[in-house]
Parts: sequence; structure tokens; C-alpha cells
Amino acid sequence: MHRMLLAEFPGPTELAEAAYALREQGYRDIDAHTPYSTEDVRVGLGLRHSRLPLAIFVGGILGAGLAYGLQWLLVGYLYPLDVGGRPPHMPLAFVPITFEMGVLLASFTAFFGVLVLGRLVKLWDPVFEVEGFETSSVDRFWLRVDGTDPRFDPERTREELARFRPLRVELYERGRPQ
Amino acid sequence: MAAPPLILGAPTDRELSDRLLSGSWTYRGNGWKLAFSLTFAGTLVLFTAITYTVWTGIGVWGNNVPVAWAFGIINFVWWIGIGHAGTFISAVLHLFEQRWRASINRFAEAMTLFAVIQAALFPLLHLGRPWFGYWLFPYPSTTATWPQVKSALPWDAAAISTYFTVSLLFWYLGLLPDLASIRDSAPERWRRRLYGIFALGFRGSERTWRHYRAAYLVLAGLATPLVLSVHSIVSSDFAMGLTPGWHSTIFPPYFVAGAIFSGFAMVLTLVIPARVLFRLEHVITERHLENCAKLILATGLMVSYGYLIEYFIAWYSGNPYEIQQFLSARPTAPGSLLWYVMLLGNVLVPQLFWSRKLRRNVWVLFWASIAINVGMWAERFVIIVLSLEREFLPSKWESYSPTWVDLTIFFGTIFFFLFLFLLFLRFIPIVSASEVKELRHELHEEHHHGEGRHAPHAAG
Repeated sequence: MHRMLLAEFPGPTELAEAAYALREQGYRDIDAHTPYSTEDVRVGLGLRHSRLPLAIFVGGILGAGLAYGLQWLLVGYLYPLDVGGRPPHMPLAFVPITFEMGVLLASFTAFFGVLVLGRLVKLWDPVFEVEGFETSSVDRFWLRVDGTDPRFDPERTREELARFRPLRVELYERGRPQ
Repeated sequence: MAAPPLILGAPTDRELSDRLLSGSWTYRGNGWKLAFSLTFAGTLVLFTAITYTVWTGIGVWGNNVPVAWAFGIINFVWWIGIGHAGTFISAVLHLFEQRWRASINRFAEAMTLFAVIQAALFPLLHLGRPWFGYWLFPYPSTTATWPQVKSALPWDAAAISTYFTVSLLFWYLGLLPDLASIRDSAPERWRRRLYGIFALGFRGSERTWRHYRAAYLVLAGLATPLVLSVHSIVSSDFAMGLTPGWHSTIFPPYFVAGAIFSGFAMVLTLVIPARVLFRLEHVITERHLENCAKLILATGLMVSYGYLIEYFIAWYSGNPYEIQQFLSARPTAPGSLLWYVMLLGNVLVPQLFWSRKLRRNVWVLFWASIAINVGMWAERFVIIVLSLEREFLPSKWESYSPTWVDLTIFFGTIFFFLFLFLLFLRFIPIVSASEVKELRHELHEEHHHGEGRHAPHAAG
């Protein structure tokens, strides 16, 4: 059974204040659904910087390394051609393909990294059942407290959220208001 | 005189959302249908000409020996170059935090993708036996022969396929928030479902946004050296050869400048009618057009400098073949009319943009952009055809003229490009709504902080 409290705010600053206050009280499973990303909300939710760039870097190095190895394998080892006495293993000539494959694999890591770490390709989420949640991609900022949070209490959390004057705050169970 | 604003009026987020996204589901009039039918017909003609070429053989093209490269490579380089401005706008300007890019980057990236598709057709057809195209890639074949990776042509295959893939991923990642927005706002159920599938379940969750923003920034950082590398590699197809007129170290930077130059011209050619037709004057303002004109002027001067240096080096080298190519072949060989077109379009026309008045005149911008597109096509013709027509030995000299198949395929790709572009205009938000809303938010915040008072709680 999935329970959550959703509070709808008119702007990012208001949401950020509420999120910050909740975190101060020890809430952990909170998230925001916003039409665009703002500094305020990021700070309010206390999210650390994404580690994805590190993975992208590893992906890039891997792509470049594999490409260099493959080129050496093809023209330096498996099928060396002597063209005017030029050496079969010629690092300078391997630069373009090494670079391109590094960029290619890094980009794949970036794109699929967002899908995996950002929990995408999940076509359904309980919030989609919420009436009026469409505004989260238009002009409203929604704060979400999941029932899995250890401090979650339907009544107390609702009161704590209400202090920040959201447009509305409601408890949902399987996407239906309670 | 202050620069015109980036967003006209004071639209709310909801108004921006409605105006920018509704284009994907509102009914289009007869004008659109006519344009769609026309470009679709042109696309069919293109594929007929391609079928004819593949069926009969590459001999139906005007290529000969020594002019073996001709239209196939001219059009390839021209289209690839056009694509470069899209990546430049979306990646380089993102890194430099040029916020005016927000309303034209989607547009320009789509232009990149469609231009690269046109470009990719040509080397494939130029193979003569396109069904062996996969030989360019290393695959474990039973004959144990492998691509010669020390040649510039496999570099090119790697560069173009990487460029297309990275552009596509970058573009699609940028699209996700808007696809999600259409999923939430479109009136019909089937449309909400369809866009919902493509939105991949994007929920605007801050926990997604933080990875999203990091990835977007890194992709911009990757695309920046990529865009510089792609045309450098394309230029090494020439620079690695010994043909006088090709064998030059100035080629990589000069090709990259030319690519961005022609790409910005194409952005103007497309954006000027589109902003009027789709009533986007409030987000694609005079300021955007003027900035494109400034970049055209800057890159145009780099291209002109490239021309100048080519001549200087030809003379300074004392190499008789180089001197013959530049001083005799370029102004007088068969087809040298295009050399004059090149100088007119690429050297003289951009000089108009020194004047602020002309930079802000939409008609001047539009016709100048057409002239530059023509000029850049002429440049590739000059480099490829005139150099090959007049190689070392006079006994090898031969003139070149294209056949009707060459011309049909070339003009066909323009129709195919416009056809893909119309599909894009019809089904995908042309301007990134989420980025423009973010820009509006930032401008709003700055405005209030700038006046030295606290931002009041912004409604909506």
C-alpha cells in the first residue's frame, strides 16, 4: 500500500522553504515534482551533486581505450600493411577514432545513466493518479512526502506542511485522496 | 541603445506552456498541408533518383576521372557543415551560459539531425555499391581483411556516426521534460498516451532533475570538442591527399569556421519563416536573429581569412602546382563561375552585418542567409571540382559537369530535409518550454534582486 502526502506550491521558493523545514525535522523520503529545475529546490531538498559525471568519465575512458586497442589489433597485429615503410602501429593516426569512440561511449553512459539513476522508463507512478498533478509540468511545484519515511504521520506531517501555505495539501493512497 | 529583450511581454509559466506546446496538437491549415505535400513529393522524387542510381550504377552521375568526387562529396560536406551550427548553439553556447540560446536550441538541434541524415546519404551512394557500406566498420569477416584505420575515410565514418548518435541523444534528453508536459496537457487520450511513452515516465522529480542537469551539462561538454573534431576530420579527407588545393594544414580550422558559418545561415533561413508562421516572435526575438548575424559575421571573417591564407601559402610555397591551382585554375577553369559566387556569398555578403540596422532587418537577414548557403555550396564545389580538374599533369586535366541525376538527388535532399523539418514542427514543441520557463524564472529573479528589494512571492 502506497501512501504519500502531496503539497502544491505556487513557486519554487515556497516549496524550498517547506522542504528545508521538513528536512530539519528529520524527514528523508521527500521529493519535489517541478516544471523546471531551480537552485532553490535543490538546496531545499539538500540533494548532493550527482555522481553521474564520474560514470561518464569512466565510460569515455573505456570507449577510448577499447577503440585504441581495436585499432592496434586490426592494423598493428591482425592485418599489418606496409605502405611506404610506415610503421603498422602508428599512434598519431589512431587519435581520431580513439577520440570519437571515447565521446560515443561517454554519451551513451550519460544518456542511459539519467534513465537508470533518475528512475525513468517507468511509465507509471502513483503520482500520475493524482487529480490535478498535470500542473507539475506546467507551472506548479509539488512537494511529496512518501509514507515510507520514518517520521511520516498523516496528521502531523500534514500540519507541518500546511504551515508553509501551500495551495493545497492532501494525503493520497494509491493515488486517491483520503 | 539597449538590446531587445529575450522574452517579449510578461507571460506566465502557464501562458508560455500553452503557447509553446499547443503547436503539437492544434489543427494545421491548408498552407501546412500544401507545404507538406510539396516536400513529400520532392522526397519521393529523391528516392526515385536514388533507386535509379543504385539500380543502374554510379555511371549515371557526372563523376569522371579525375573528378571522381564531385557532387557526392560536395553535398556531403555542405550538409554536414550546416548541421554544425545546431550543435554549436546547443552545446557551446550552453557551456558559455549564453541564455539567449534557450529558445532556438531545440530548433537548431533538429536542423543538425536532419542535415546529418542528408549528408550520410551521399558517401553511402558514392560507394557505388551501397550494400557494402558495412565494410567501413570492423566486423569479423571470413576474409580477415579489416578497414585501414590509418586512412582518413574510416575516421570520417567514425566521426559522422558518433556525431549523429550524440546529437540524437542530446536532443532527446532535452526533449524529455516537454514530452512529459505534452503527456500531461494534450487534449486527446491517445496523444497523451503516445507522448507518455516517449516521455519515458519523466515526472519532473528533483531526484531525476539533478542527474538530468549533470548529464546535460556533460553532454554539452562532450559535444563541443566533438563538433570541432567532426569537420576537422571531414577536412582531413582532403588535407591528407596530395592534390594541390587540398594538401593544406589550414583545412581543419578553416572548415570548422565555414561549417558554423553556413549552419548559422541555415538557422536564419529556417527560423525567420517559422517564427512568423508559428507566432513565436515573443520568444525568438530580434535579439536572437541579431546574435546569429553577429556570429555569421565573425565566422565569415574567419572563412575569408582562410581564403587569404590559402593564397598566401600557395604563393609563398613556390610550388608551381599550388600556384597554378590557385592563380590560374580557380579563376579560369571550367566551373570557375562558382569561385566568384563563393567570394560574393562568403566574403562580401556577411559584411552587411557590420550595420546594426541591417542585422535587425528580417528581409536582409533572410536573403543574406540564402546567399551564404549558396556561397558555401560553391566553396565546396570549388575545393573539390576545381582542384581535381587541374591536378599535376595537363594530360590528366578534364572538365566536369553534373547530370540530371546529380541535380535531382541534390535538390531532392533539400526537399527531404524540409519534409523532416515540417514533421518536426508539427509533432514536437519547436521551442523548449521547460528551458524558456526556467529562463523566465531567472530573468524574473534577477530583475527583482537588481532593484535591491526582496522578491515578492511570485504567483504562478
